[in-house]
Amino acid sequence: MIDMSTTQASRARPSAIGSGALGAALPLLVLLVIGVTLPLFAGGYWGVIATRACVYWVLAAGLNLVVGFAGQIAIGWVALLTVGAYTTSVLAAGNVMPPLHPYLALAIAGVVGAVCGVIVGLPALRLRTFYFAITTLGFATIVTQIVLAWASVTGGGVGVAGPIFPAPFDTQWGFYYFCFGLAAICTWMTANIAKSRFGRALTAIRDAEVAAEANGISKPGLLVIVFLFSGATAAIAGGLFASLQSYITPDAFTIDLSVLFFISILIGGRGSILGPLLGTILLTVLPEFAAPLVAWSTFLYAVLLLAIVLVMPGGIAELLDFKSRRPLESNRAIIPRPDLLKRLLGQDTAPGTLTLEQVALSFGGVRAIDGLDLTILPGQVHGLIGPNGSGKTTTLNVISGYYTPQGGVARLNGVALTTLAHHARAHMRIARTFQTPRIVGEASVLENVMIGGTIDGRGTFVESLLALPRHWRDEKMLHETAMLALSAVGLEQLAGVRADRLQHSELRFIEIARALMLRPAFLLLDEPAAGLSAEEIRRLGALVVAISQAGTGVLLVEHHADLIFDICHHVTVLNLGKMLAAGTPAEIRSHREVVNAYLGG
Amino acid sequence: MVLSIVLSGLAIGCVYALIGIAYNVMYSASRVFSFTAGTLGMIGGVLGSLFILRMGLPVWAGFILALVGGALLGVVTEIVAVRPVLKSLDQHLYVLSTLALALIVQQFTAIEWSTDAQPFPRIFNIERNSFDQQYWLPMIACVVVIVGLELLYRRTLVGHAFRAIAEDNYAARALGLPERNLRMASYALAGVIGALAGFASGQMLLAFFANAPLLTFYGFVPVALGGMGNNRGAVVAGLVLGLFQQAANFLVGGIFASVAVFTVFILVLLARPDGLAGASAGRRV
Amino acid sequence: MPTLAADLPSAAEPLLRVTGLSTGYGKVGVLRGVDLTIKVGEVVALLGPNGAGKTTLLRAISGLLPSQGSVSFAGRDLAGAAPRETVQAGLAHVIEGHRVFTQQSVVDNLLLAAYDLPRGERSARVEEALGYFPEIAEKRHQRAVALSGGQQQMLAVAQGLVQRPRLLMLDEPSAGLSPVLVDRVFDVVRKLRESGTAVLLVEQLIEKALALADRVYALARGSIVLEASTAETDLPHRLEHAYFASAPVAAE
Repeated sequence: MIDMSTTQASRARPSAIGSGALGAALPLLVLLVIGVTLPLFAGGYWGVIATRACVYWVLAAGLNLVVGFAGQIAIGWVALLTVGAYTTSVLAAGNVMPPLHPYLALAIAGVVGAVCGVIVGLPALRLRTFYFAITTLGFATIVTQIVLAWASVTGGGVGVAGPIFPAPFDTQWGFYYFCFGLAAICTWMTANIAKSRFGRALTAIRDAEVAAEANGISKPGLLVIVFLFSGATAAIAGGLFASLQSYITPDAFTIDLSVLFFISILIGGRGSILGPLLGTILLTVLPEFAAPLVAWSTFLYAVLLLAIVLVMPGGIAELLDFKSRRPLESNRAIIPRPDLLKRLLGQDTAPGTLTLEQVALSFGGVRAIDGLDLTILPGQVHGLIGPNGSGKTTTLNVISGYYTPQGGVARLNGVALTTLAHHARAHMRIARTFQTPRIVGEASVLENVMIGGTIDGRGTFVESLLALPRHWRDEKMLHETAMLALSAVGLEQLAGVRADRLQHSELRFIEIARALMLRPAFLLLDEPAAGLSAEEIRRLGALVVAISQAGTGVLLVEHHADLIFDICHHVTVLNLGKMLAAGTPAEIRSHREVVNAYLGG
Repeated sequence: MVLSIVLSGLAIGCVYALIGIAYNVMYSASRVFSFTAGTLGMIGGVLGSLFILRMGLPVWAGFILALVGGALLGVVTEIVAVRPVLKSLDQHLYVLSTLALALIVQQFTAIEWSTDAQPFPRIFNIERNSFDQQYWLPMIACVVVIVGLELLYRRTLVGHAFRAIAEDNYAARALGLPERNLRMASYALAGVIGALAGFASGQMLLAFFANAPLLTFYGFVPVALGGMGNNRGAVVAGLVLGLFQQAANFLVGGIFASVAVFTVFILVLLARPDGLAGASAGRRV
Repeated sequence: MPTLAADLPSAAEPLLRVTGLSTGYGKVGVLRGVDLTIKVGEVVALLGPNGAGKTTLLRAISGLLPSQGSVSFAGRDLAGAAPRETVQAGLAHVIEGHRVFTQQSVVDNLLLAAYDLPRGERSARVEEALGYFPEIAEKRHQRAVALSGGQQQMLAVAQGLVQRPRLLMLDEPSAGLSPVLVDRVFDVVRKLRESGTAVLLVEQLIEKALALADRVYALARGSIVLEASTAETDLPHRLEHAYFASAPVAAE
């Protein structure tokens, strides 16, 4: 059965999935061939430029995961280049202890860089965007000043000789191949990550942080790993840089260089590997074509950055994305297939009940929820209605852990949820959707849905980095489940399309498909019908009923009274944070007080 | 010795406070922190030196033109780097657009003005003494700006309108206030304040393009520690920062003073992300 | 305000005519082809369940939210106009949630509403607006944060009156107010009608709104589902029916 639905789906878009992978790899292969054969047709000077581009890319590839994927505005990454350059040079030169072999020095620099990467990156977990940007800039300044001051080790303003790697890498082209090899490995590794659950989780943190957390993605855990990796590649690039320069002084590590790395990633486009790679090559090579402009290069980079931000936020990657220019079918309809749900959600035994006991929460003196009791049973649809500000979404947010109640407790099967971190809800199989769909616009519909299954992957970050077997197994499993979830909500024909090209109603169904990836015991839907047409609401209703029939308990917050009365087993009416009434739809409809409160009265 | 540390500390602290106020004035009008804050200070110093020393204009004319230049840069910031990205504040594009503009101005200055620090003229032709004009000019500038802003915000209708868009932009628009013009005016005002800081501290910091990133960083420290949008907090934190930096400079040497400032800044922020005075405004229901 | 009579549109032409108005937030459509008219000096209630788009409609009319369709007011085309232009045209919008400027005094709040008036007229207009609400006139020099929620709502309405609008749009003026204060605000609406000011009222208190208004529109699922004179009998039942029972889901 699974096979049937996936083959069906791939038959629907054979070109997207088949040629897509090849299409993505082709430009990289072309670059690989050019890189390998470069000495055959380029002079020595171009060898130096190409080596520099490779060194820069080793850093930019790692930084790309931080900036382009995780969306952290890390401007001062040159600090880590400096750390790597000096660690390698000083250890290889033997300034403090007996000289080490250059490879060993380079490896140690990688470790030191990884640690420094976490130190530089860590404030991102706590600080607002601009604050983080400023602190990374501060780091860049501080490291240079320390290097200047610590003259006994670093040579201060006089500098230190860079390492020379032994044969066969001691000639100009030899060293080029060494750097090119490392650059190719970095490309391969980051491309592996980009296509893994970790890469998708990073883009989710960037574009839809709350949704990432609701799907069990731990932002601190993932960012620390990425900072480690990015710090290591930056420091290794530093060691290569020192060797390329043959002699380094603090002047070599200007903030301009940092800006170059940062801008080449943004010019390339967020969430892409090829784009930033081309961006790095472009910015390295560009000044060579316009020698008189060398003094103006940083100025031009800045102009380019401004232009990119204002005119073309997608960068080079978007320019190259021909697939997304093909028009979509305009009269497409979402036709869910509830019959697939049983297979998707499995036959888990009774998941118990979700209860709220006397939950209370106020914001600055205003009681948003005031002693609320609620019991949601598996296999039932529980409606939650009430006027604006009556506490419906707040109730959802308490269950999902975005708010900690000041009184009372939420329990699943007797286990208190309120003490858990919010991303732990996903492991308890509690899934949710949002009032405004939280999706990654630049990722495909399929990738967005796969984000929902992140916690079901078994491979580690390193396994994905190196594309080891468990990585492939995870990818296959997530791909199949996501296609099944998409078929269930009726969007499988759009699997390969960029999510931001879809209509609003389709985004709502993507969110439901993503939530289904968790095989939820309980599903919290926050106004899923808002902005849907009458026909779509009807299909949504049927889908929600089918989800509940598969055993999932559904909590439905909705304004559309007709939908509530049509599909709910049980309805709770909130007013001013308190329960006004509860009962079957029929009871609620004849409840005078409810009609008044709901209509206003 | 102690006297000179205190004087230079207070003087440089006043400059940081003024740049912090420039950050705040822009932030209040648009909820955006702009990387151009330090550039405004740098441009005040460079323009002062350009008009007075290089072009030989009288001091008063150079002063006014430097402030006009700051105001222009403020308006350009608003039009080029802020207004186009205001609609999508949550994407934080303003961080990139204002950074780009700051770099553009900074690099242009480096190339067209000088990559080295250039002298800044003496403003008043009086003899040097221990309490020299290079110390008291920034202090006077700081007092003038604080008093002037207080009068503007408390006593004039335009000032009330500034406070209104800072408190509730949506309600201000619904009331028919010219929100866009007020925002531009705020950026012009921030430009004047920044340029004034640069001009007043010209003799201390010289006319040097690389002052821009330094002021951008050290001017932001008072904002982060004093609480964003909080001018009083910025002034107190700016003065403390100046004194601390100068004292550390004297006690442990210049480079480790910067490291010390940075370390303290990071640690305080990690402990209190909203700043020391950080009473964030209550949630509006 | 009889002095305005000279430039009022002719009786045949309504003061406000909204035709085919559609809008939403981002990709989410909220209003689909709304038609609505308000005559000079008329009090119109706009009712509807939560999420129907009442507040959105007011925002679109006053220019706080971009929209498609046409909005003509007192013979002027206001489609695509900025809020400032609609205010200057005589259309005041008192937004929901009594969002006054809490750190400024009552008088300063009102002076802000008079921002575009000639300097000499401002304080007279402020006094005129305060004349409607003696409760807050007493506290004219206190900061608005010191006012009760009801007094803040009065201040917000007073802000709307400073411009002497021809049409005042009130968004849930009763929310969070005690019944006594609600009656005070509604009394002011009656006074306004007597002076020829039209009022478009979004209200949760249906019975009070129906007692006050001349005409009523009901909005549900982004469209006008009912338009009636409040003189009609059986209106509450028709309203309830319009809210709940007209959707395709229930019809099946």
